[in-house]
Amino acid sequence: MTEHQQTIKKAPKGRSLWQDGLRRLVRRKLAMVCLVVVVLYFLLAGFLYVAEFFDWQVGPIRWAEEVGESYQPPSSNSIFGTDIFGQSVLRKTLYGTKISITVALCASFISIAIGVPLGAIAGYFRGFVDEIIVWIYSTLSSIPYILLILAFAVVLRDKTLFGHKLAGITSVYLAIGLTSWVGICRLVRGEIIKHKEREYVLAARSYGCSTRRIIFQHLIPNVFHIVIIDFSLRFVAFIHAEVILSFLGLGEADRPSWGAMINDARIELSRGVWWQMVAATLAIFFISLALNIFGDALRDSLDPKLRVQ
Amino acid sequence: MKFSSIVLTTMLLLAAGCDRKGGEGESDEIVLQHRLRAKVQSLDAANIGDTISHGVASEIFDCLYTYHYLKRPYLIVPQLAAQMPEVSEDGLTYTIRIKEGVRFADDECFAGGKGRELKASDFVFAWKRIADVKALSKNWWVFDDKIAGLDEFREYTQTSKKDEVDYSRPVEGLTAADDYTLVIKLKRAWPQILYVLTYLPTAPAAKEAVDYYGKDLINHPVGTGAFKLKIWHRGSYIEMVRNPNFREELYPSEGTEGDAEAGLLRDAGKRMPFVDRIVWRIVPEDQPRWLMFEQGDIDITSIPKDNYGQAIAMGRELTASMKERNIRLDAFKEPDTFYIGFNMEDPVLGVNKPLRLAISCAFDREKWIELFYNGRGDVAYGFIPPCMPGYDPNVKEGSRTEYNPEKAKRLLEQAREINGGELPEFKLTMQGTDTTYRQMGQFLSRSLQEIGLDVEMEYLDWPTYLEKLRTKGVQIYQSGWIADYPDVENFLQIFYSKRSPWPNSSNYSNPEYDGLVEQAALMEDSPQRTQLYRKAERIVMEDAPCAFMFHRIFYVMYHDWVGNFKPNAYRPDSFGYGLSKYYRVDVAKRAAYHKKYK
Repeated sequence: MTEHQQTIKKAPKGRSLWQDGLRRLVRRKLAMVCLVVVVLYFLLAGFLYVAEFFDWQVGPIRWAEEVGESYQPPSSNSIFGTDIFGQSVLRKTLYGTKISITVALCASFISIAIGVPLGAIAGYFRGFVDEIIVWIYSTLSSIPYILLILAFAVVLRDKTLFGHKLAGITSVYLAIGLTSWVGICRLVRGEIIKHKEREYVLAARSYGCSTRRIIFQHLIPNVFHIVIIDFSLRFVAFIHAEVILSFLGLGEADRPSWGAMINDARIELSRGVWWQMVAATLAIFFISLALNIFGDALRDSLDPKLRVQ
Repeated sequence: MKFSSIVLTTMLLLAAGCDRKGGEGESDEIVLQHRLRAKVQSLDAANIGDTISHGVASEIFDCLYTYHYLKRPYLIVPQLAAQMPEVSEDGLTYTIRIKEGVRFADDECFAGGKGRELKASDFVFAWKRIADVKALSKNWWVFDDKIAGLDEFREYTQTSKKDEVDYSRPVEGLTAADDYTLVIKLKRAWPQILYVLTYLPTAPAAKEAVDYYGKDLINHPVGTGAFKLKIWHRGSYIEMVRNPNFREELYPSEGTEGDAEAGLLRDAGKRMPFVDRIVWRIVPEDQPRWLMFEQGDIDITSIPKDNYGQAIAMGRELTASMKERNIRLDAFKEPDTFYIGFNMEDPVLGVNKPLRLAISCAFDREKWIELFYNGRGDVAYGFIPPCMPGYDPNVKEGSRTEYNPEKAKRLLEQAREINGGELPEFKLTMQGTDTTYRQMGQFLSRSLQEIGLDVEMEYLDWPTYLEKLRTKGVQIYQSGWIADYPDVENFLQIFYSKRSPWPNSSNYSNPEYDGLVEQAALMEDSPQRTQLYRKAERIVMEDAPCAFMFHRIFYVMYHDWVGNFKPNAYRPDSFGYGLSKYYRVDVAKRAAYHKKYK
């Protein structure tokens, strides 16, 4: 081994975009606190799924139980008081986490599953394919978002898909997912257009890689940080969309959700029953705030252009 | 760009400054401020199917007869008719004299824009229009199979082209003997026709208006009532002004006991109406409506359930703050019955009486009334409401109405045996989608789950719900019936097999019951007829095609500047319905209130 070769071997190993981003993310204390909050929400939702599956009779699962008289104000017995049927508002709020996280997660996956491949194909092939895809998403985005979700939710309600009835939250996350892929599609398309002339893509092409391989194994992994950032920021919007749909009576009918709770509280406020509104709002507030701060930090950390510390 | 933005800003500022002066008129006009809970759909009297439009249009149109404003029990008195009808001995021919000199409101559809005199032929025309299939009247049911020759006329309209229906085609049972005499020949005796003649869709229609406005007639009502339409902003605002052509009609001089003490006879013998304008604000949400009432921008209102605590203290009295504002309260029992119906044609429910009884035992009606109506209701044991003549004081005996979950569970055991195994999941359809309906739905589904029944809730908007009932598409459904007139006969049809699926939406059929209904329908009011009604009620209670829930008690609040206010239980909600002409408004009192509280 020559001396020259030895020097090369000793050179420090470069960090990948991901390692670099992660290292910078961990340094942000506030973002880490927010991450913990988000993880807590996810853990709670996951725990409720497991508890329901194994039929563990924990508090939030027994949300339907009467714990006192109707409309009891917050007290040491029930932190957030009771609703019209004497059910614990705290339990309903905790249970609502499951609905909200499920809807936001499923809707995110649906919109990514549609938006990312479409964006990548449009950006890579350009020309006629690009025009069609751009036309589709421009048309979709020209319709006011909330009206579009509402229309989808109404159409999907009570339909069956593969023998599975689209009731309650299934139609909600399908409606949100099917209407909200435009943003991510646009971002991915733009990024792919930028990347497709880069050396690594040219190299892959010169090696004779198939188009599918270039798009899915070279291009998408290199633009995926955009998807993750978009996911974290859009997640909040999806939670809000679920709340709005439930508020408008298109969401979950039989189980508690934050939107439905706010809808109940709307008319109860005049009788001085504020606790249901406060509980649901706080739940939404904390996850929205945490996701927003974390999403921002994530973007700052993963964006190569912002590598100035 | 700069110029246009200045113009835009100025326009916006100007628009913001333009506030509709609804409450106080431009001059010394006396204005009555009504509120509506929903949009008005139509102001074509023949084509009105909802209570909101009905209430509003009744101020513009008059019918042959009406209810005496003050007398109770409810008494029918002539309105456009000169006197009560002459009825032939066989009860089949009604000869009605109509008042002379009554004129339609001025409208551009008439020659010279002057409203012409009302004639008997205007009734004939209006009723033929109801029968005309092409005119799509929602109210054909009032005359269905009742007047000789009118059903044949309806069949004829089915075969003719839309604009070619010949209204001069004679109908045997519907003729104008002269300009002021209307002769009605019935197919069979129908004593309830008098009630129908007070019903808005039977109001006379001017052919000139129908021809002139065509489809647009729903926006241009032309009637003989005390008021006429001035402004109609769909969805927000309606304004009516006094009809200068309104005939001389006097405030009643006699009332019921206590009316004189209540100051209801102060205007006896005076010419009506007492207000110059009526303003209707359309406020669908409970809270803004309540706040507007508190501010004095609405004169009369009902109490939203969530504001009940603010308005009514313990012992069903007004709270101190309401008393301080000189707000008045009136309460009366409504002639209605609410129930959970079962579709008797459903293969599981229809044949399984223990199942239906079990469901009936599952509901805690007292709690329901407390939670959703602040205790403003009575538990229903049968379908005849307690406020109606004919109510059976012993109805509780033999009633299936009780809250007994243990008994319900035992009944379910029997139900499972009859069903030959586990019971399937049931679908319960609610007639609304808003929060209160959802809460009601939760209450019902929880009650059923407690006795061990699986139930899926379905929340539908009103038109979809009606469509489902009419196509027999429901299984268990929430429903109710509000009497159209003070005769129990009106309730009998909701279980009469020939009226399935509407209004007999449980598709209940019992020949014995049907026989009683047919027998009673031909009878004048008598103790024998009341006995038949009660017998019919017992049959329904025994067969349990529905679980009777409750009868409402209506609380109405009004400001003290509204005089002559007496609610009418057959005019639901008490707003409009041709009653505004009786009200007097003390504008000075209202101004003082505005000054103090607004």
